[in-house]
Amino acid sequence: MRIARAVVWVVVAADLLLILWVFLTSLRGSSDIFAHPFGLPTDPQPGNYGRALNEGGFGRAALNSVLVATVSSVAAVALAAPAAYVLARRRTRTSSALTMTFAMGLGVPGQVLVVPLFIGLAQVDLTDSLFGLILVYVGLAMPFTVYLLTGFFSGVPAVLEEAATLDGAGPLRTFLQVIVPVARGGLITAFLLQVIGAWNETLFALVLNHSENKITLPVSLADFVATEQLNGMDWGTMFAGVCLILAPMLALFSWLGTRIIQGMTVGIGK
Amino acid sequence: MATALQDRTAVRREGRPPAGSGAAPLERQHRRIFWPFAGPALLVYAVLFLAPIGYAAWTSLYKWDGMGAKQWRGLHNYQVLFGDPAFRTSLLNTLEILVVGGAITFAISLALTLVLREMRARLFARSVLFFPCLVNAMVFGIAAGFLFSPDGPVNTVLHWLGVAAPPKWLATDNLFPMIVATLVWTATGYYTAIIMAAVDQIPEYLYEAAELDGASAFQRFRHVTLPLAWDVISVCAVLWTVSSVKIFELILMYGGSSSNQPPVSTWNTAMYVYTEAFPQTSAPQLGMATAAALVSLVMVGVITLALRRLMRRTAVEY
Repeated sequence: MRIARAVVWVVVAADLLLILWVFLTSLRGSSDIFAHPFGLPTDPQPGNYGRALNEGGFGRAALNSVLVATVSSVAAVALAAPAAYVLARRRTRTSSALTMTFAMGLGVPGQVLVVPLFIGLAQVDLTDSLFGLILVYVGLAMPFTVYLLTGFFSGVPAVLEEAATLDGAGPLRTFLQVIVPVARGGLITAFLLQVIGAWNETLFALVLNHSENKITLPVSLADFVATEQLNGMDWGTMFAGVCLILAPMLALFSWLGTRIIQGMTVGIGK
Repeated sequence: MATALQDRTAVRREGRPPAGSGAAPLERQHRRIFWPFAGPALLVYAVLFLAPIGYAAWTSLYKWDGMGAKQWRGLHNYQVLFGDPAFRTSLLNTLEILVVGGAITFAISLALTLVLREMRARLFARSVLFFPCLVNAMVFGIAAGFLFSPDGPVNTVLHWLGVAAPPKWLATDNLFPMIVATLVWTATGYYTAIIMAAVDQIPEYLYEAAELDGASAFQRFRHVTLPLAWDVISVCAVLWTVSSVKIFELILMYGGSSSNQPPVSTWNTAMYVYTEAFPQTSAPQLGMATAAALVSLVMVGVITLALRRLMRRTAVEY
C-alpha cells in the first residue's frame, strides 16, 4: 500500500511538473530550450507571447474561441433547459421517448456528423463562418446538455412550482422566476462543461473554418505547427500558443474544479 | 393534435386523475407548455444532429466528390471499404484503443480508486489526475513530439541514467503504442474521478465490518467496493466505448505532425473519415467517408448493447 501511494504521488508530481514545464518553457528562447530542456527562464522572453498573439495568429484565434465557446454554450443551455425541465416533469410516453431520443445522441461520434454538416452548411453559405461553427456546437451540445439537465431538474422539488401556480403565476414566469433560480447550480455546471467542450473541440473547427480571422485556437495551433515544420520550429512561440489554449482551462479548473468534476462525474453515475 | 391525443391516453393509462379535475393544475400546466418548451431544443437537435445522421447514411450509398453528380453505389461502398487496407488498419486500431486501451485504463483507474480511498490529500491528488482530460489532446501530441524527439529531454534523462540505446519513441512502428499510452494517461484521471464518486457513496460501516472480519485491503476492494460500484463501472465502460471511438486530434497531431497526414498505421476510423472526406491532394470520397463513419456508429451501438447485457446484474441494495 505504501509503495502504491508513493507511485500515485510520483504521477501527481509528474503531472504538475509537466504543466509547470510548459509554462516555463513558453518564456524561453528556442535555442535555449533545446540545449537545456529543463532549464529555468533565466532570461525570460515574454516576447514569445507577443509573437504568438500577432504573427502566430493566436490573438485573433483566442478571441474567436472565447466568442464561439461562450455564445454556443449560452445558446445550448437556453435551449436545453426548458426542454429538460418539461422532460423531467412530464412522465408520459412521448416525454420518455423524447428523453430517450436525446440520450441516444450521446452515442454518436462526431465523425458521423462532420461530412453532412459540412455539406449542409456549405449550401447555406455558413462554412468558414463563426456563426456556422456556433450553430454546429449548439447542435452537438444538445444530447449531453439535455441529459445532464433532465437529471438535475428531476431533483428540484415540485412543491415550489405548485406554490407558484397556486399564486397564479403563468408557466413561463414559474419557470423563469422559481425554477431557474433554484436550478442555477445545474445550469452553471452545464454551461461550464459546454464551454470546456467547445474550447477544445478540434474536428469541426478544423473542417469548417480556415480563413485566418475565422479560426479558433486549436486550428491556429495546428496551422502554426504545420508552418513551423517548414521553417524550423520556433519552440518558444509554440509553447506560448500551447499555454494560451491551456491556461484558461487551468484557471477555470482551479476556480471551479469541484463543480466541474461533479458535473462530469456525479451525473454519470445516476 | 395527434400527439396531444396520445398524451392524454398515456396519462389515463397511467391512472392519473384526468386533467381538469382541479387536483392537478400543475399537471395541466406542464402539459400545455410541453411542446413550446421542448420544441426549440428538439428542432435544433433534429436539424443539426438527427437529419445529418440520416444524410450520412444516404450519402454512404453513393460515390460522390462533393461537387459533381452523385453516382449510385449501394452497399458496394461498404464492400470496397472493408477491402481497403487503410480502413482495416483504422478499424483494428479503433478496436485496439477500445479494448486494450480500455482494459489498461480501467485496471489503473480501479487500482487508483483503491489507493486513493485510504490516502491523505486524496481530493488534491484526484484533481491533479483529473485535469488532463480538460486539455485539448493536441497539446499532449505536441509536447510528446518535443519530449520524445531523438535529442529531446526524455532521451537526455535516459542517457544520464546510463541507457545507451533508448527506444526510437517516435518511429512509425512505435507511434501507435505511444498514442495509446498517452490516451490512457489522460483518460485514467477522469474514470478514477467517476468511480471515486460512486465509491464515496458506499457507507463506511461496510468497510469497518469487513475489516473486523479480517478482510485485507484487496479483499475489501473485491467484496465491498467492486460489487457496490458495479453499476457505475458499467456506465463508465459505455462512456469509454463512445469516447474512445471519437479520438481524433491526439492522432492528428501526435509527434507534432500536421503538415503531412499522420502515418496510416496510427489511424483510427475518425482519422480515416477525415482523410477520405477532406484530403489534401486527391478528390474527396464522401461516400467512403460516410460509410466508414456509419461503420463506427454501428460499432458503438453494438458494443454498447453487448456491454449493457454482459455487465447487467441485479442491483445490490445498501
